[in-house]
Amino acid sequence: MRQVQTAVLERDTTFVSDFATEPYEVAWAGEARWFVHILAASGDGVSVRLVTQISPDGLTWCDLDGDEQVVTGPGLVTWPVGQFGQWLRLRGTVTGVNPSAKLRIYLTVKS
Amino acid sequence: MTMMERPDLAAELRAAILAADPRLSKFAPLRRILAYDDFNSGSHGWTELLGNYNGNGDLSTVDDHMRDFRPPQLSNCTFFDVGTHGAMTGSYALKLATRAYRGHTATAIRRLTMSGRGLLQIEAYFTYKAEATIDGSAGDRFGDITWDGNLHPSEAQFGCFTVATDLCGDGGLRYHTVARYLNTTLDNTLSRQWVYPIVPEPTPREHLEGKVELAYGADFTAPDPKDWRPFGEPQELCYNEVPTKVNWHYLRWVIDTAARRNVELQVNDRIMDMSEVPVPPYKERYDSLENLLNFYFSVRTHSTVRNFLFLDSVLISTEW
Repeated sequence: MRQVQTAVLERDTTFVSDFATEPYEVAWAGEARWFVHILAASGDGVSVRLVTQISPDGLTWCDLDGDEQVVTGPGLVTWPVGQFGQWLRLRGTVTGVNPSAKLRIYLTVKS
Repeated sequence: MTMMERPDLAAELRAAILAADPRLSKFAPLRRILAYDDFNSGSHGWTELLGNYNGNGDLSTVDDHMRDFRPPQLSNCTFFDVGTHGAMTGSYALKLATRAYRGHTATAIRRLTMSGRGLLQIEAYFTYKAEATIDGSAGDRFGDITWDGNLHPSEAQFGCFTVATDLCGDGGLRYHTVARYLNTTLDNTLSRQWVYPIVPEPTPREHLEGKVELAYGADFTAPDPKDWRPFGEPQELCYNEVPTKVNWHYLRWVIDTAARRNVELQVNDRIMDMSEVPVPPYKERYDSLENLLNFYFSVRTHSTVRNFLFLDSVLISTEW
Protein backbone atom coordinates (compact mmCIF):
# COMPACT_ATOMS: atom_id res chain seq x y z
CA MET A 1 0.00 0.00 0.00
CA ARG A 2 1.37 3.41 -0.88
CA GLN A 3 2.06 5.96 1.81
CA VAL A 4 0.14 9.24 1.56
CA GLN A 5 0.25 12.20 3.85
CA THR A 6 -1.57 15.51 3.91
CA ALA A 7 -0.07 18.41 5.81
CA VAL A 8 -1.98 21.61 6.50
CA LEU A 9 0.81 24.12 6.21
CA GLU A 10 -1.43 27.14 6.74
CA ARG A 11 -4.81 26.57 8.27
CA ASP A 12 -6.71 29.81 8.47
CA THR A 13 -4.09 32.43 7.80
CA THR A 14 -4.64 35.94 6.51
CA PHE A 15 -1.80 37.23 4.38
CA VAL A 16 -1.43 40.93 3.60
CA SER A 17 2.12 40.76 2.23
CA ASP A 18 4.55 38.33 0.65
CA PHE A 19 5.13 35.07 2.48
CA ALA A 20 6.70 31.63 2.39
CA THR A 21 5.29 28.58 4.14
CA GLU A 22 7.30 26.64 6.68
CA PRO A 23 9.61 24.01 5.17
CA TYR A 24 8.10 20.54 4.86
CA GLU A 25 10.13 17.37 4.41
CA VAL A 26 9.04 15.12 1.58
CA ALA A 27 12.14 13.03 0.91
CA TRP A 28 10.11 9.82 1.07
CA ALA A 29 7.55 10.94 -1.50
CA GLY A 30 7.53 10.51 -5.25
CA GLU A 31 4.77 12.94 -6.02
CA ALA A 32 3.06 15.88 -4.42
CA ARG A 33 0.17 18.21 -4.99
CA TRP A 34 -0.75 21.59 -3.58
CA PHE A 35 -4.31 22.45 -2.70
CA VAL A 36 -4.78 26.10 -1.84
CA HIS A 37 -8.18 27.07 -0.54
CA ILE A 38 -8.79 30.80 -0.72
CA LEU A 39 -11.28 31.35 2.06
CA ALA A 40 -11.60 35.10 1.57
CA ALA A 41 -9.93 37.90 -0.34
CA SER A 42 -10.26 41.67 -0.21
CA GLY A 43 -8.61 44.81 -1.54
CA ASP A 44 -8.75 46.44 -4.95
CA GLY A 45 -7.05 44.26 -7.52
CA VAL A 46 -6.00 41.71 -4.93
CA SER A 47 -4.03 38.79 -6.26
CA VAL A 48 -1.77 36.14 -4.78
CA ARG A 49 0.92 34.56 -6.94
CA LEU A 50 1.97 31.13 -5.71
CA VAL A 51 5.21 29.42 -6.68
CA THR A 52 6.57 26.05 -5.53
CA GLN A 53 10.02 26.22 -3.97
CA ILE A 54 12.54 23.46 -3.30
CA SER A 55 15.66 23.20 -1.20
CA PRO A 56 18.58 20.84 -0.68
CA ASP A 57 18.87 21.57 3.03
CA GLY A 58 15.67 23.22 4.25
CA LEU A 59 17.53 26.50 4.57
CA THR A 60 18.18 27.80 1.08
CA TRP A 61 15.40 27.91 -1.50
CA CYS A 62 14.81 28.34 -5.19
CA ASP A 63 11.75 28.17 -7.42
CA LEU A 64 11.04 24.68 -8.76
CA ASP A 65 10.02 25.85 -12.21
CA GLY A 66 8.57 28.84 -13.96
CA ASP A 67 4.98 27.92 -13.21
CA GLU A 68 2.96 30.10 -10.95
CA GLN A 69 -0.65 30.06 -9.88
CA VAL A 70 -2.52 33.34 -9.58
CA VAL A 71 -5.58 33.56 -7.38
CA THR A 72 -7.82 36.60 -7.06
CA GLY A 73 -10.81 35.42 -5.07
CA PRO A 74 -12.38 32.60 -3.07
CA GLY A 75 -12.07 29.06 -4.38
CA LEU A 76 -9.75 26.10 -4.55
CA VAL A 77 -6.72 25.82 -6.80
CA THR A 78 -4.46 22.81 -7.18
CA TRP A 79 -1.41 21.75 -9.09
CA PRO A 80 0.96 18.77 -9.09
CA VAL A 81 4.61 18.85 -8.15
CA GLY A 82 7.29 16.40 -9.18
CA GLN A 83 11.08 15.99 -9.19
CA PHE A 84 11.37 17.98 -5.99
CA GLY A 85 14.08 16.44 -3.82
CA GLN A 86 13.80 16.62 -0.05
CA TRP A 87 11.84 19.75 0.89
CA LEU A 88 8.87 21.72 -0.38
CA ARG A 89 7.43 25.09 0.47
CA LEU A 90 5.19 27.63 -1.18
CA ARG A 91 6.18 31.21 -1.90
CA GLY A 92 3.39 33.75 -2.15
CA THR A 93 3.39 37.28 -3.55
CA VAL A 94 0.45 39.41 -2.47
CA THR A 95 -0.45 42.45 -4.60
CA GLY A 96 -3.30 44.97 -4.80
CA VAL A 97 -4.52 47.98 -2.82
CA ASN A 98 -4.72 47.04 0.86
CA PRO A 99 -4.75 43.40 -0.19
CA SER A 100 -5.76 40.60 2.12
CA ALA A 101 -6.17 36.90 1.44
CA LYS A 102 -7.18 34.22 3.90
CA LEU A 103 -5.69 30.90 2.85
CA ARG A 104 -5.73 27.26 3.80
CA ILE A 105 -2.75 25.51 2.26
CA TYR A 106 -2.64 21.74 1.97
CA LEU A 107 0.32 19.72 0.77
CA THR A 108 -0.55 16.15 -0.18
CA VAL A 109 2.39 13.84 -0.79
CA LYS A 110 2.44 10.24 -1.95
CA SER A 111 5.15 7.60 -2.13
CA MET B 1 10.94 -29.68 31.16
CA THR B 2 7.59 -28.53 32.48
CA MET B 3 6.14 -25.29 33.70
CA MET B 4 6.43 -26.77 37.22
CA GLU B 5 10.19 -27.15 36.79
CA ARG B 6 10.61 -23.74 35.18
CA PRO B 7 7.86 -21.55 36.67
CA ASP B 8 9.28 -18.50 34.91
CA LEU B 9 9.49 -20.24 31.56
CA ALA B 10 6.90 -17.98 30.00
CA ALA B 11 8.85 -14.91 31.10
CA GLU B 12 12.11 -16.40 29.85
CA LEU B 13 10.57 -17.21 26.48
CA ARG B 14 9.12 -13.75 26.19
CA ALA B 15 12.46 -12.17 27.06
CA ALA B 16 14.25 -14.38 24.52
CA ILE B 17 11.79 -13.49 21.79
CA LEU B 18 12.11 -9.78 22.51
CA ALA B 19 15.89 -10.01 22.68
CA ALA B 20 16.05 -11.78 19.33
CA ASP B 21 14.04 -9.10 17.58
CA PRO B 22 16.26 -6.15 16.66
CA ARG B 23 13.21 -3.90 16.46
CA LEU B 24 12.09 -4.66 20.02
CA SER B 25 15.28 -5.58 21.82
CA LYS B 26 16.19 -1.93 22.27
CA PHE B 27 12.97 -1.47 24.27
CA ALA B 28 11.76 -2.86 27.59
CA PRO B 29 8.01 -3.18 27.04
CA LEU B 30 5.44 -3.98 29.67
CA ARG B 31 3.17 -6.99 29.21
CA ARG B 32 1.05 -5.76 26.31
CA ILE B 33 2.47 -3.71 23.45
CA LEU B 34 -0.21 -1.28 22.40
CA ALA B 35 1.80 0.45 19.69
CA TYR B 36 5.20 0.09 18.07
CA ASP B 37 5.95 3.04 15.86
CA ASP B 38 8.83 2.82 13.44
CA PHE B 39 8.62 5.85 11.22
CA ASN B 40 9.98 4.12 8.16
CA SER B 41 6.40 3.02 7.57
CA GLY B 42 4.50 6.25 8.04
CA SER B 43 3.57 8.49 10.90
CA HIS B 44 1.67 5.77 12.80
CA GLY B 45 -1.08 8.04 14.05
CA TRP B 46 1.19 10.74 15.45
CA THR B 47 -0.51 13.88 14.25
CA GLU B 48 -0.68 17.58 14.89
CA LEU B 49 -2.58 18.75 17.94
CA LEU B 50 -5.15 21.44 17.23
CA GLY B 51 -7.42 23.31 19.62
CA ASN B 52 -11.18 22.81 19.38
CA TYR B 53 -13.43 24.76 16.98
CA ASN B 54 -17.10 25.63 16.82
CA GLY B 55 -19.99 23.81 15.19
CA ASN B 56 -19.40 25.47 11.83
CA GLY B 57 -15.84 24.26 11.49
CA ASP B 58 -14.75 27.87 11.82
CA LEU B 59 -11.07 27.62 12.61
CA SER B 60 -10.95 31.25 13.69
CA THR B 61 -12.61 29.97 16.87
CA VAL B 62 -9.53 27.90 17.75
CA ASP B 63 -7.60 29.33 20.68
CA ASP B 64 -4.69 31.46 19.47
CA HIS B 65 -2.12 29.48 21.43
CA MET B 66 -3.41 26.15 20.02
CA ARG B 67 -3.96 26.95 16.36
CA ASP B 68 -0.50 26.44 14.90
CA PHE B 69 1.28 23.42 16.34
CA ARG B 70 2.60 22.40 12.91
CA PRO B 71 2.22 19.06 11.13
CA PRO B 72 4.80 16.39 12.03
CA GLN B 73 7.14 15.39 9.21
CA LEU B 74 8.85 12.21 8.15
CA SER B 75 12.49 13.20 8.06
CA ASN B 76 15.66 11.42 7.05
CA CYS B 77 17.62 13.97 9.07
CA THR B 78 19.32 15.75 6.20
CA PHE B 79 21.56 18.71 6.96
CA PHE B 80 23.37 21.36 4.95
CA ASP B 81 26.85 20.14 5.81
CA VAL B 82 26.78 16.34 5.63
CA GLY B 83 23.65 15.61 3.65
CA THR B 84 21.54 12.73 4.84
CA HIS B 85 22.25 11.61 8.38
CA GLY B 86 19.45 9.06 8.55
CA ALA B 87 17.65 7.83 11.64
CA MET B 88 18.58 5.17 14.18
CA THR B 89 16.25 2.54 12.74
CA GLY B 90 16.39 2.88 8.98
CA SER B 91 16.16 6.17 7.14
CA TYR B 92 13.23 7.99 8.68
CA ALA B 93 12.32 9.65 11.94
CA LEU B 94 9.28 11.66 12.93
CA LYS B 95 10.25 15.32 13.11
CA LEU B 96 8.49 18.03 15.07
CA ALA B 97 9.54 21.48 13.92
CA THR B 98 8.64 24.82 15.46
CA ARG B 99 8.46 28.07 13.65
CA ALA B 100 11.35 30.47 14.07
CA TYR B 101 9.24 32.42 16.55
CA ARG B 102 10.10 32.79 20.20
CA GLY B 103 7.74 30.67 22.27
CA HIS B 104 6.34 28.70 19.35
CA THR B 105 5.50 25.04 20.02
CA ALA B 106 5.22 22.06 17.67
CA THR B 107 3.39 18.92 18.73
CA ALA B 108 2.67 15.34 17.74
CA ILE B 109 -0.15 13.57 19.51
CA ARG B 110 -1.22 9.92 19.45
CA ARG B 111 -4.83 9.14 20.33
CA LEU B 112 -5.81 5.87 21.98
CA THR B 113 -8.21 4.73 24.68
CA MET B 114 -7.67 2.63 27.78
CA SER B 115 -8.98 -0.92 27.90
CA GLY B 116 -7.90 -1.30 31.51
CA ARG B 117 -6.11 0.45 34.32
CA GLY B 118 -2.62 0.02 35.64
CA LEU B 119 0.94 0.68 34.56
CA LEU B 120 1.34 2.47 31.25
CA GLN B 121 4.72 3.04 29.63
CA ILE B 122 6.04 4.97 26.68
CA GLU B 123 9.51 4.41 25.33
CA ALA B 124 11.21 6.35 22.58
CA TYR B 125 14.52 6.96 20.90
CA PHE B 126 14.79 10.69 20.33
CA THR B 127 17.13 13.51 19.57
CA TYR B 128 16.73 17.27 19.59
CA LYS B 129 18.34 20.06 17.60
CA ALA B 130 18.06 23.74 16.86
CA GLU B 131 18.08 24.62 13.17
CA ALA B 132 21.46 25.51 11.76
CA THR B 133 22.01 29.15 10.86
CA ILE B 134 24.17 29.59 7.77
CA ASP B 135 23.46 33.11 6.58
CA GLY B 136 26.10 34.73 8.77
CA SER B 137 23.57 36.28 11.13
CA ALA B 138 24.10 34.03 14.13
CA GLY B 139 27.56 34.90 15.38
CA ASP B 140 29.56 32.79 17.79
CA ARG B 141 27.64 33.63 20.91
CA PHE B 142 24.11 32.92 22.06
CA GLY B 143 22.67 32.83 25.56
CA ASP B 144 25.44 31.73 27.86
CA ILE B 145 27.39 29.84 25.19
CA THR B 146 30.32 31.17 23.24
CA TRP B 147 31.68 28.90 20.56
CA ASP B 148 34.91 27.33 21.80
CA GLY B 149 35.32 24.55 19.27
CA ASN B 150 33.33 22.24 21.53
CA LEU B 151 30.23 23.99 22.86
CA HIS B 152 28.23 25.60 20.06
CA PRO B 153 25.76 28.50 20.43
CA SER B 154 23.14 26.34 18.70
CA GLU B 155 22.70 24.37 21.92
CA ALA B 156 21.49 27.50 23.72
CA GLN B 157 19.00 28.11 20.92
CA PHE B 158 17.08 24.97 21.85
CA GLY B 159 14.33 25.62 24.40
CA CYS B 160 12.63 22.50 25.70
CA PHE B 161 10.88 19.29 24.77
CA THR B 162 8.02 17.59 26.55
CA VAL B 163 6.39 14.19 26.77
CA ALA B 164 2.93 14.15 28.29
CA THR B 165 -0.40 12.41 28.48
CA ASP B 166 -4.02 13.46 28.38
CA LEU B 167 -6.06 10.92 30.33
CA CYS B 168 -9.69 10.76 31.31
CA GLY B 169 -12.05 8.19 32.76
CA ASP B 170 -14.11 7.07 35.69
CA GLY B 171 -16.86 9.59 35.08
CA GLY B 172 -14.98 12.33 33.28
CA LEU B 173 -12.05 12.76 35.65
CA ARG B 174 -9.37 14.21 33.42
CA TYR B 175 -5.69 14.72 34.16
CA HIS B 176 -2.29 15.04 32.57
CA THR B 177 1.08 13.65 33.42
CA VAL B 178 3.94 15.72 32.09
CA ALA B 179 7.73 15.51 31.91
CA ARG B 180 9.70 18.32 30.27
CA TYR B 181 13.38 18.66 29.55
CA LEU B 182 14.10 22.33 30.01
CA ASN B 183 17.28 22.73 28.02
CA THR B 184 17.35 26.48 28.46
CA THR B 185 15.46 28.99 30.52
CA LEU B 186 13.40 31.60 28.73
CA ASP B 187 16.45 33.88 28.70
CA ASN B 188 18.46 31.20 26.84
CA THR B 189 20.64 30.11 29.73
CA LEU B 190 21.40 26.40 29.90
CA SER B 191 19.22 24.69 32.50
CA ARG B 192 19.23 20.99 31.48
CA GLN B 193 16.61 20.29 34.12
CA TRP B 194 13.61 17.97 34.08
CA VAL B 195 10.49 19.84 35.19
CA TYR B 196 6.77 19.25 35.69
CA PRO B 197 3.77 21.59 35.93
CA ILE B 198 1.71 21.94 39.10
CA VAL B 199 -1.43 22.97 37.20
CA PRO B 200 -3.48 21.17 34.54
CA GLU B 201 -3.25 22.36 30.96
CA PRO B 202 -5.67 25.19 30.06
CA THR B 203 -8.46 23.81 27.86
CA PRO B 204 -10.61 25.29 25.09
CA ARG B 205 -13.64 24.92 27.35
CA GLU B 206 -11.98 27.07 29.99
CA HIS B 207 -11.33 29.67 27.29
CA LEU B 208 -14.95 29.53 26.12
CA GLU B 209 -16.04 29.99 29.72
CA GLY B 210 -13.87 33.09 29.95
CA LYS B 211 -11.49 31.60 32.50
CA VAL B 212 -8.37 31.81 30.41
CA GLU B 213 -7.16 33.50 27.23
CA LEU B 214 -3.67 32.90 25.96
CA ALA B 215 -1.74 34.56 23.18
CA TYR B 216 -0.07 32.90 20.22
CA GLY B 217 3.22 31.42 21.37
CA ALA B 218 2.07 30.88 24.95
CA ASP B 219 3.16 27.65 26.60
CA PHE B 220 0.02 25.55 26.15
CA THR B 221 1.03 22.90 28.70
CA ALA B 222 1.29 25.40 31.56
CA PRO B 223 1.66 29.02 30.48
CA ASP B 224 3.08 30.52 33.68
CA PRO B 225 6.79 29.69 34.14
CA LYS B 226 6.20 29.88 37.90
CA ASP B 227 3.95 26.82 37.64
CA TRP B 228 6.85 24.53 36.75
CA ARG B 229 8.95 22.64 39.30
CA PRO B 230 12.16 20.64 38.94
CA PHE B 231 12.48 16.96 39.58
CA GLY B 232 15.69 14.96 39.64
CA GLU B 233 19.09 16.50 39.19
CA PRO B 234 20.14 18.45 36.08
CA GLN B 235 20.93 16.06 33.26
CA GLU B 236 23.31 16.80 30.44
CA LEU B 237 22.26 15.12 27.21
CA CYS B 238 24.27 14.55 24.06
CA TYR B 239 23.45 17.54 21.88
CA ASN B 240 26.81 16.83 20.31
CA GLU B 241 28.19 20.28 19.77
CA VAL B 242 26.78 21.44 16.43
CA PRO B 243 23.23 21.56 15.05
CA THR B 244 23.80 18.88 12.43
CA LYS B 245 24.91 15.83 14.41
CA VAL B 246 22.18 13.62 15.81
CA ASN B 247 22.73 11.14 18.62
CA TRP B 248 19.76 9.05 19.65
CA HIS B 249 18.69 9.00 23.30
CA TYR B 250 16.57 6.45 25.12
CA LEU B 251 13.49 7.54 27.07
CA ARG B 252 11.22 5.33 29.15
CA TRP B 253 8.41 6.84 31.18
CA VAL B 254 6.01 4.93 33.38
CA ILE B 255 2.74 6.12 34.89
CA ASP B 256 0.01 4.29 36.77
CA THR B 257 -3.49 4.98 35.47
CA ALA B 258 -5.09 2.97 38.31
CA ALA B 259 -3.59 5.27 40.92
CA ARG B 260 -3.43 8.30 38.58
CA ARG B 261 0.21 8.72 39.55
CA ASN B 262 3.59 9.17 37.97
CA VAL B 263 6.03 6.31 38.54
CA GLU B 264 9.43 6.94 36.99
CA LEU B 265 11.28 8.43 34.06
CA GLN B 266 14.40 6.92 32.57
CA VAL B 267 16.49 8.92 30.13
CA ASN B 268 19.61 7.08 29.04
CA ASP B 269 21.41 5.94 32.18
CA ARG B 270 19.40 8.12 34.57
CA ILE B 271 16.27 6.79 36.31
CA MET B 272 14.26 9.44 38.11
CA ASP B 273 11.66 8.56 40.71
CA MET B 274 8.50 10.50 39.83
CA SER B 275 6.19 8.93 42.38
CA GLU B 276 6.04 12.15 44.37
CA VAL B 277 5.45 14.32 41.28
CA PRO B 278 1.84 15.47 41.64
CA VAL B 279 -0.81 14.86 39.01
CA PRO B 280 -3.35 17.67 39.33
CA PRO B 281 -6.75 16.70 37.90
CA TYR B 282 -9.22 19.16 36.45
CA LYS B 283 -11.76 20.26 39.03
CA GLU B 284 -14.60 19.89 36.54
CA ARG B 285 -15.64 16.71 34.77
CA TYR B 286 -15.27 16.27 31.02
CA ASP B 287 -17.71 14.61 28.65
CA SER B 288 -16.88 12.69 25.48
CA LEU B 289 -13.48 11.56 26.77
CA GLU B 290 -14.18 8.26 28.52
CA ASN B 291 -11.00 6.16 28.73
CA LEU B 292 -9.06 8.84 26.85
CA LEU B 293 -5.43 7.82 26.42
CA ASN B 294 -3.38 10.39 24.54
CA PHE B 295 0.36 10.80 24.48
CA TYR B 296 2.00 13.85 23.01
CA PHE B 297 5.50 15.05 22.39
CA SER B 298 6.14 18.73 21.97
CA VAL B 299 9.07 21.03 21.35
CA ARG B 300 9.19 24.73 22.15
CA THR B 301 11.71 27.28 21.06
CA HIS B 302 12.87 30.00 23.42
CA SER B 303 14.69 31.76 20.60
CA THR B 304 13.92 32.93 17.09
CA VAL B 305 15.45 29.74 15.71
CA ARG B 306 13.41 26.70 14.69
CA ASN B 307 13.68 23.85 17.18
CA PHE B 308 13.34 20.21 16.18
CA LEU B 309 12.49 17.05 18.10
CA PHE B 310 13.18 13.84 16.19
CA LEU B 311 11.65 10.51 17.21
CA ASP B 312 13.27 7.44 15.70
CA SER B 313 10.77 5.03 17.15
CA VAL B 314 8.20 4.85 19.92
CA LEU B 315 6.75 1.94 21.84
CA ILE B 316 3.69 2.16 24.11
CA SER B 317 2.95 -0.76 26.43
CA THR B 318 0.75 -1.55 29.39
CA GLU B 319 0.35 -4.03 32.24
CA TRP B 320 -3.37 -4.35 31.67
